Amino acid sequence: MAASDSGGSDATSDRGEATDREETTDRGNAVELRNVRKTYYLGEPVHALDGVDVSIPRGSYTAVMGPSGSGKSTLLNLIGCLDTPTEGEVWVNDREVSALSQRERTEVRGEEVGFVFQTFNLMPKLTAAENVSLPLVFGGVDKNERRKRARELLEDVGLGDRVGHRPNELSGGQRQRVAIARALAADPSIILADEPTGNLDQETGEQIMGLFQRLHDEGNTILMVTHERPIAEHAERVIHVLDGTVERIEEIESPRRVETELV
Amino acid sequence: MEFGESLRLSLRAVRSHKFRSALTVLGVVIGVAAVITFVTLGTSLRADVLGQVGGERAPNVYVWAGPEGQNGGPGAGAQPVLTTHDLDQLRAIEGVESVVPRGLVPTAALSAENDTVAQRQVIATSPAYFDPGDFAAGRSFEQGRREVVVNQQATSLFDRHVGVGQNVTVRLASGDSVNATVVGVLNASEGGGAFEGLGSSEPLVFVPTDPFYGTTVEAVRSYLEDESDAARLVPDDYVFSVETDQDLVDQLEELLNTLTSFITGIAVISLVVGSIGIANIMLVSVTERTKEIGIMKAVGAQNRDVLQLFLLEAVLLGVSGAIVGIPVGVAGAYLAAEYIGLDLVLPYDWFAIAVVVGVLVGVVAGIYPAWSAAKTDPIDALRYE
Repeated sequence: MAASDSGGSDATSDRGEATDREETTDRGNAVELRNVRKTYYLGEPVHALDGVDVSIPRGSYTAVMGPSGSGKSTLLNLIGCLDTPTEGEVWVNDREVSALSQRERTEVRGEEVGFVFQTFNLMPKLTAAENVSLPLVFGGVDKNERRKRARELLEDVGLGDRVGHRPNELSGGQRQRVAIARALAADPSIILADEPTGNLDQETGEQIMGLFQRLHDEGNTILMVTHERPIAEHAERVIHVLDGTVERIEEIESPRRVETELV
Repeated sequence: MEFGESLRLSLRAVRSHKFRSALTVLGVVIGVAAVITFVTLGTSLRADVLGQVGGERAPNVYVWAGPEGQNGGPGAGAQPVLTTHDLDQLRAIEGVESVVPRGLVPTAALSAENDTVAQRQVIATSPAYFDPGDFAAGRSFEQGRREVVVNQQATSLFDRHVGVGQNVTVRLASGDSVNATVVGVLNASEGGGAFEGLGSSEPLVFVPTDPFYGTTVEAVRSYLEDESDAARLVPDDYVFSVETDQDLVDQLEELLNTLTSFITGIAVISLVVGSIGIANIMLVSVTERTKEIGIMKAVGAQNRDVLQLFLLEAVLLGVSGAIVGIPVGVAGAYLAAEYIGLDLVLPYDWFAIAVVVGVLVGVVAGIYPAWSAAKTDPIDALRYE
């Protein structure tokens, strides 16, 4: 985990090296997209993203809003190294991931990025603790270490008493909290959340937002896709995407705070 | 990804569909069980036959002269050409413990009391032909006395079974009759040596060369008088055959091997069918778990991790099929052996082979499904419902 850091607070470890190696990226950015274009050929070329420049500073909390088909998910997939751009560069933690081999991108995905999905995407046959430690399994972390870390993370998200439960024994909110714990397992540079409250009722959604708020307060970088304005207002910034381009970037003067964390 | 963790995950996948896994494994179980059954029976049969032939008789060497290329067992087409001088010469060869002559005496009939049956020939030999353990009753005849030894089949030639101490009359082909006493009856399993055909069920009557052979081969003897070397007596197109028990054992073994591999070949077909079953269910499994593959890839699973997981799952199915198949096959062989009346001999090396085959079946059946799982695009996989 040498190349990763938990967020803005101690993000100084490998900067010098990165600066020497390549043209300078903004030192404060966890993610940077430069003139990124993604084109799908479905009979005719469709530009899912059409020349996007975006910077996500370390330790920031950013929401991405836009109608369906606007390119939000493509943006998330590119940053999460699930996809590669047709043109342009994607930098994650001072590495140009768009130029990496598939194998290396998988490594970045496991170590630098934590995904939180709308449908939770937990492994149904694994317990909460096993789900949380899955990124560590593929990351080659020692078994005892994995167990310890999974327990800590689950306690952190208020599920210390659900370690051995399977997803179908947990409520939606609890599942999403397991998913968040999993996203944090490898101590990633950025947490990517795709409609994390989309499948939850409002109250549970608020709890999850409270959890994200705490993670942000602790210095994690969060990028969240949503189409609900009230959810987006928890972030510091909102990137509005339309037809594959960044329409505008909105700074939220005073992000909404969840006062009581119901964990 | 560590192997142990991979194993644990694959095992869980197999166990989560117990019934389906069991049915899939059944194909391999049947295949392996069939192979093990046939191989075990083959091994037992071989051990049984070789046990009869081999053992104490193994150091025997059979010598005869017959037409070249004559088919059949030892002694086929044998002509009486070896003389007493030849026997003495052979006996003098280093390593030869004893030389036992054997010749056929043409006869017309055998009579016991008033019962007469046709018998084509009796076997003239020396007492050394028999081992003390060969007799069910009585003893071997002695040279120079009018005594005979019969096998079990010969005792039932007559209406009233003949036994030790009974008088029989041997009517020779020349018309002479010789009265003799039965002094020994051979064990049922003792069909005589290789010359008589192994396990032969012919009635056999053994007589001492003296006086029986001497009187009947008078013509031959006079023919031999001038030339004491059998080689000169042999017709040009006849050859001397020298065959040991081991040669015979080898021939039998070859025959049994051919038979066993033929049957095993058929059993292997069912193994192929079993592995197609595994391949099929693995393809289903990969499709069914597309989403899981997507999740694993999203959290950092490399292609080879996914490949390993699915391949291991297929191998687990194959190996468990083999492990269950072995005892099932042995049980099948046991029942068959009981039925035939064979002593069961377990081919332990084949058990190891079966497990290896189980692994191979898993790998062959699993390689394509696992490869397609590894190649799955994570974005598509995560979207899959």
